[in-house]
Formats: sequence, structure tokens, C-alpha cells
Amino acid sequence: MSPEADQILLLSSSQLSGTLVPLLPSGYAQGQASLLSFMMVMCAQEYERGADIRARENSEIRDLFTTLAPDVTDKDLAAQLAAAAVTRDESLAISTLNTANAELRRLLIALQTLLEQQDNRAAQARIWELLKRSAARRLIKLA
Amino acid sequence: MSDEITLPLQSYLARKLSVPGLIVGDLARIPGGASRETYRFRISYDRGGERVERGLILRRDPPASLIETERSTEFRAYGAFHRLGLPVPEPIALELEAGDLERPFFIMEEITGCSVASVLMPDPYGVHREKIGMQFFTTLGRIAQADPHALGLGDFDGPMTRETCWSHEVSRWETVIDEDERELQPIARATIRWLKRNPPPPAQKISVVHGDYRTGNFLFDPDGNIRAILDWEMAHLGDPLEDLGWALDPLWAHGDPSRPAGTVARAKAIAIWEESSGLKADPQALAWWEIFASLKGLAIWISAAREYAEGRNSDPVNAFSGWFCLAFHNHVLAEKLGAEL
Repeated sequence: MSPEADQILLLSSSQLSGTLVPLLPSGYAQGQASLLSFMMVMCAQEYERGADIRARENSEIRDLFTTLAPDVTDKDLAAQLAAAAVTRDESLAISTLNTANAELRRLLIALQTLLEQQDNRAAQARIWELLKRSAARRLIKLA
Repeated sequence: MSDEITLPLQSYLARKLSVPGLIVGDLARIPGGASRETYRFRISYDRGGERVERGLILRRDPPASLIETERSTEFRAYGAFHRLGLPVPEPIALELEAGDLERPFFIMEEITGCSVASVLMPDPYGVHREKIGMQFFTTLGRIAQADPHALGLGDFDGPMTRETCWSHEVSRWETVIDEDERELQPIARATIRWLKRNPPPPAQKISVVHGDYRTGNFLFDPDGNIRAILDWEMAHLGDPLEDLGWALDPLWAHGDPSRPAGTVARAKAIAIWEESSGLKADPQALAWWEIFASLKGLAIWISAAREYAEGRNSDPVNAFSGWFCLAFHNHVLAEKLGAEL
């Protein structure tokens, strides 16, 4: 598709902030419209990367479960981690990726909590590396 | 909407102020965050044969609020620190019942000729950043120094001790996350566990904590004078380092965390606060409160996201907070706590 949705959002944002916002009453109306314009830029970023950052996060969590599950002493949790590690995203639709991500995050929290209780610092560090990468990918870039 | 407010507001103020010939005019909505609808307006009335005019601000509850806050707390905090001589607008009236204006509201004086910084502006204070930073951290120190009981605010939060105020705050915001989390937040949960495992030392004293003391929540004039500290709606009693940690948070640094609030260098900011408050900013304790600040931010942004996503408050600032700010603080906390191991 050309123009792509992100281009439409970026040009619409530019039209809104450059042409329409100055025509609005100053104060509340201009402020709200300017924020909407900025959020259109955020949406343009997300259109391009949204599926990618979710799919990567899901894949990295599964890989982590594959690595750590064999050493988890809680047998029930270990089984859940092993089962989750072999799941796959059924599509790249955002809603599908989010549904899978919710279950993976639930298990990740349980695993991290257990590793903290056991003071397993090496495994905790692996989780924090994953969380740092994930958080960095989800940051909104201003420039 | 503004026209629907003018007449009821005029009727209310005529009763409340008991002045003859009162007229409300020039009512206009202004930016003021998603937790209250904010309007500027003017009143005129007769006094001693002359016509008196005055600018006022109306802060009315929205249909759904970003964070459910206690209106009387905010109103009392404005009054106490206005009387103390800090740059705080004079509160005029508070109504807790949804009567005259359909929702609770309060009215305060308008401070004119000033600007407020947007968090997204790279350098909002320009040549005045040092001057504003000096006032900003000095005033925060004065809030910390003030005796809550002498201010008449000693009953703000019920009994609060130097040893337990930190856990009170962690519980407060953990509850918000429990109630409002729409998608699981591993970084927020790990942060809560870390805060509980590594408690800070007891507070040096119990102070009034502004609760949202940051760039963007004060008015400054063209000469770089801070004229009004605003948004006291999250004021409570607690460790004064809580406010300092929030003020130093990188989200409020206009892109340069080495200059908190976009003003002075970090070390200088802390020194100004220590000088003004008479307290010490113990590095270990302050580090704990800075991590807490980012966790508190996450809780607020999670709550904002829920309000927006569930259609209770469609103010775009809720969507912005629940997305941009949430991502920002997740990144801050992942970097800080990841480095702890």
C-alpha cells in the first residue's frame, strides 16, 4: 500500500500542527490538538514497529524459558515454562501477539519472583537483560 | 460546555462571596491535566461604589479522574502553603458535593502573565534555568522544612511514622497497579518486590509531601520568577525525600537527566534542597526514593491507560501518559534495577 499508514499519519500530523492548530483558540484547544498531533507521530512509529517489538519479545521470553526451565525447582512452574517455550505466535496481528504476550509475561513474573527467592543472580540477570531490551524497543523516539 | 458553567458559577459565587452585582465573564477552558477540568474566568462586583474585577481559576472534577484524589486535601494544602508565604495561589472556595456545577470543584486565584513548561520542550527555561532551578529546589526545601502540625495539616494521612511511611507509599501505589493494570507489567512488579526487599532508612522527619512537584507544575513569569506551585492534589504526609526523588526523575528533565527539571546540575539541585530544608539527602535513601518515584510514575500511567482504554476519560493526555510515559519509566527502571545485579 502506498502511501502506507505511517506516512498518512505523519503527514496528517504535520497538517494538523502546522496548519490547523494555529487557527484554533489559544490555550486548551491548541494544547489538546497539539497533543493529538504528537500522538499521531507516535502511532506512525507503532505502525512500523508494533508487530516486530511484540514478536521479538515473545520469542525472547520463549527462548529464556527454554534455557531456564530445566533448572526450575518448582515442578509445576517448570512444566508451564517448558510448555510455553514451545508455543508459537499464530499470526502477526497485534491482538494475537498481545494475547500470547500476556501469558508469557505472567510466567515471566512467576519465574523472576522464584529466582529472587532463591537468590539465583545469574538467572535473574538474564531476565533483566531481556527486560532492558524489551523496554528499550518500546521507548517512543522523539526525534 | 463553558456557557453551561457560567450561569451556575455566577449564581454559586454570588451566594458564596455575598458581594453585590457579581458577574462571571470570559470563562475559557485552559490546559490543566486530566485529573481536573481547568477554567479561567473573571468576576466583577460592586464594592464601596466602585466596580472590582478579579481573575479566578475553576478546577472541576472530570467524569473520571486520572488518579482518584481527595479534593479537600488539595484545597487545604493550597491554603496552608499560601499562608506560609510560598508562591501558591490563594484558594477561594471548595465544594465537595455535585450540586451547582454537577461535579465537585474548587476555585482559586488566577496568577497572570506566566507560562508553564511542557515536558516535551527541550529547554523551556532558557537563560533563566539557573534562576528557576534555585527557586524550584529552594521552595521544595521549604515544603520539606515546614511542620505539618503548624500548617494545620497534621491529620492529612492519619498516623504516619518515620519508619513506615515508605511502606505506606509502596502499598498505596501497588494497590493502584493491582486495580488498574490491563496488561501485566513485569518491571513494575519486580520494582515493587525490590523496594520491599531493600527498604530505605527511616525518614529524618515527617513532612507534607507535595506529591507531584516537578517541571510543568509551576508557573513562571518572563523574568524567570516562579509565581505559583500548582497541582497539590496528591499531597500527603511522608518522607520529604519522596518529593526530591520525584523532582529529580529523568522524565521531568527535558531530555537531560544531569539537569533535573531542566534547570541546575543535579548536585547543585540537591545542595540547594539541603540548604533550604535543613535536611540531608542521604545518597542511599535518595536512590531508593528515586526508584520509588519511577514506580509511582508507572502506577499513574497504568491508571491513565485504563481510564482511556475503558472509555471513562478520553482526554488525550491519558493516552499519552499510558503509552509514552509508561514506556519511559519502564526503561528507566529496567536500566537501574538491571544494573543492581
